[in-house]
Amino acid sequence: MYNIISKTKYAYILSGTLTILSVVSIFVWGLKFGIDFTGGTVMEVKFAQNVPVNQDVADVLRDLNLNSLTIQGKGADSLLISYASVDDSVNQTVWSDISSKYADTTQSAVNYRDSSVSAELKTKSLWALFWAAVGIMAFIAWAFRKVSRPVQSWKYGAGAVIALIHDVLITIGVFSVLGHFKGIEVGVPFIAALLTILGFSVHDTIVVYDRTRENLLKGSSKEAFPDVVNRSLNETLVRSINTSLTVIITLLALYIFGGDSIKNFALALLIGVTFGTYSSIFVASALLVTSYKLQLKK
Amino acid sequence: MTLRRRLSIKFALVLILALTVGLISYPKTVSRIPPVYNALNKLKINLGLDLQGGIHLEYKADTSKIDSSKIDESMQAVQDVIARRVNAFGVAEPTIYTTKSGSDRRLIVELAGVKDINQAKNLIKETPFLEFKAEGSADASQQIPQNVLDQMNAQAKQKAEDLLKKALAGEDFAQLAKDNSEDPGSKDNGGDLGFVKKGAFVPEFDKVLFEGNLKDGEIYNQVVETQFGWHIIKKIEQRGEGDNLEIHAAHILIAKKANPAPKKNYVSTGLTGKNLSSATVDFRNQGLSEPEVALKFDSDGTKLFADLTKNNIGKSIAIYLDGQIISAPTVQAEITNGEAVITGNFSVDEANNLVKRLNEGALPVPINLVSQESVDATLGGVSLATSLKAGFIGLGLVVIFMLSYYRFLGLIAVFALLIYTGLMISVFKLSSLTPWSITLTLPGIAGFILSIGMAVDANILIFERTKEEIRKGRNILGALDEGFKRAWTSIRDGNLSSILTSFILIELGTGFVKGFAVTLIVGVLLSMFTAVTISRTLLKYILGEWISNKLWLVGVKQEDVMETNKK
Repeated sequence: MYNIISKTKYAYILSGTLTILSVVSIFVWGLKFGIDFTGGTVMEVKFAQNVPVNQDVADVLRDLNLNSLTIQGKGADSLLISYASVDDSVNQTVWSDISSKYADTTQSAVNYRDSSVSAELKTKSLWALFWAAVGIMAFIAWAFRKVSRPVQSWKYGAGAVIALIHDVLITIGVFSVLGHFKGIEVGVPFIAALLTILGFSVHDTIVVYDRTRENLLKGSSKEAFPDVVNRSLNETLVRSINTSLTVIITLLALYIFGGDSIKNFALALLIGVTFGTYSSIFVASALLVTSYKLQLKK
Repeated sequence: MTLRRRLSIKFALVLILALTVGLISYPKTVSRIPPVYNALNKLKINLGLDLQGGIHLEYKADTSKIDSSKIDESMQAVQDVIARRVNAFGVAEPTIYTTKSGSDRRLIVELAGVKDINQAKNLIKETPFLEFKAEGSADASQQIPQNVLDQMNAQAKQKAEDLLKKALAGEDFAQLAKDNSEDPGSKDNGGDLGFVKKGAFVPEFDKVLFEGNLKDGEIYNQVVETQFGWHIIKKIEQRGEGDNLEIHAAHILIAKKANPAPKKNYVSTGLTGKNLSSATVDFRNQGLSEPEVALKFDSDGTKLFADLTKNNIGKSIAIYLDGQIISAPTVQAEITNGEAVITGNFSVDEANNLVKRLNEGALPVPINLVSQESVDATLGGVSLATSLKAGFIGLGLVVIFMLSYYRFLGLIAVFALLIYTGLMISVFKLSSLTPWSITLTLPGIAGFILSIGMAVDANILIFERTKEEIRKGRNILGALDEGFKRAWTSIRDGNLSSILTSFILIELGTGFVKGFAVTLIVGVLLSMFTAVTISRTLLKYILGEWISNKLWLVGVKQEDVMETNKK
């Protein structure tokens, strides 16, 4: 049996540091929002012959005075052209300029969001995050309604929520860093990933808490609370690691082989699930013990 | 024995289920039995636009000019019109529907398997928005005052007179024309107009040429005024007789300055294409070469048109198509029969096209594209291939992991996992026969792959629990039962949270998120089902006391059991 609870101090230091760094990064660099939230167009153009140099394409489009035009390569034969567009007619002009300049080009994909749509997606995403948080908290409160000794059931809820916020903040923090240094943008898929992480993280935590609950209900009163928690952690350790491993395996497969379109989505999930597993083992239960100890001091 | 028998039946059912979903998922296994193969092969997974190529368009309807009580009706009409237009384009199974977003009304058009995305878009966009507008106050900003014009024209006439004098005095006519003529068509040829028959030019000009008795090479001794300005006319030669008489002439033109026809400011009248009941091509007034488009209004339209014509007698009414003025006839009298004609300079084809488009329906509400997601079919195919590859690799790795860690139990879990995968594919395929057809999108495949990882979770929970119970010294079957019972609450609670967030994701409502969330929900539900029914039946049927001596098969060390028992 590993004494996981005794390592609480290190877990707190690690988690605290990562969370603070994430928050700092979010405040300093923010996230690099994609067209889902800023409005605009991303056009993927495939060239039959050699892919032109980015600057050449920029020159072709110079007269259109596109705002925040960026051009980057994708794969061996394509370019991603993104810009802030006010109107769909801009997209038509961009395409006709490019297709008349370069023969045999294909418009592989176009994503266009009017500013009204992106504004709407922004609000909707925030609401989705809000409702997910509320829903999960209500769910946790319900799931732990039966346990109230020696730690009240709301504290399980609070513990799970803190672990959850920790997982989500670190994921956002990593993407804030990636956005700043690698230009990785976040869109609606990122929100989907965050919500999935919310569901996952709480899933993991619940399994551990569930065991604690069970051991408390049937356990002898001789065993101290921290020991019960530690035993529960150990009993679920293999399960926690193994199930996360299977999920991480599939996510890695998605990240490596799944193609460009869902790479970043898989990455966000990967980070979230990894930290979700870590926090359900090292943070969530430790919080219960900490709160129990505080209770004793009173 | 009855318990054993019931278990046998359950086991048989699991095998049948496995076989069925296997066949549905991969009909090629029975390709030698054509009737079965053909029936099964008809079931296809409904692929999303991002995988088969296609276009998702979201239009915002401008309902600001529509009476709020009629918005629903108008949106339905827009939907019908676009549906007709798209059907005419021949897209297989287009999806067209309207949504509300706050106070906005949206029209969503989804076209699958479209090869040329831009062409499709233009065909939808090619909206004949027909509108009748009445004359408002004229726009006088471009007008030149009459006295200034008179002065300019007096100068022009004087210039023409001077040129005539020079020409009569023998200066080179062609050179004069080149330097001074304001007729862009002839000036560079020295004013040469070529051979023409009588009647080709305006009457004043014609009269001088054909009745002026000019000799070849003679310049008419006066400046001739026409609607274009002042002409100096020179006859060069003639040929033919009588009706075939042709005269070769040259001229120098000093153009007359005139105000452009005052730009009329047309204002909307409320009469639009939605009031149209039919349109036809009509040749009756102008002969075969110049068709007109005859319009027939519905009862509301007839009334509006009657009022409109009554109030505008002597003025013009402009007919706008897609914001372009195509004709502006002057109203002669009130028209109460609800009929109107458009006489543009149509070719027969143009008139036919216009009529077709008008009959397909003019949009009662203008729409504006606000969101587009389009994927070329090739790229869609690539996405499908790569994501499936990722799925197979993910599935393979999970299988390897399960087998190496849980050995015999793992084998059963792998079997359950394969049934789960087959079940997912079957649900996707079979759903297309029901009204709740599920579309598989790229994020959906991601959700699917993720759910493979999660489906194992339930099995792992049960196995770990069962192993624990075995270690505690329970017999195998007792341990299994206990394992399932104890693991169930965790499985249920844990998956509920995933389902909860998935439902919120569906509410968020965009294509990407929806595809992902729907597969995740279906996946989680099915994985719970396979874990508690299939894995359980398999384990109970196959495992028995025989395994007590071979506990390594389930990944439990014999010593551990002893130890716990001693305790």
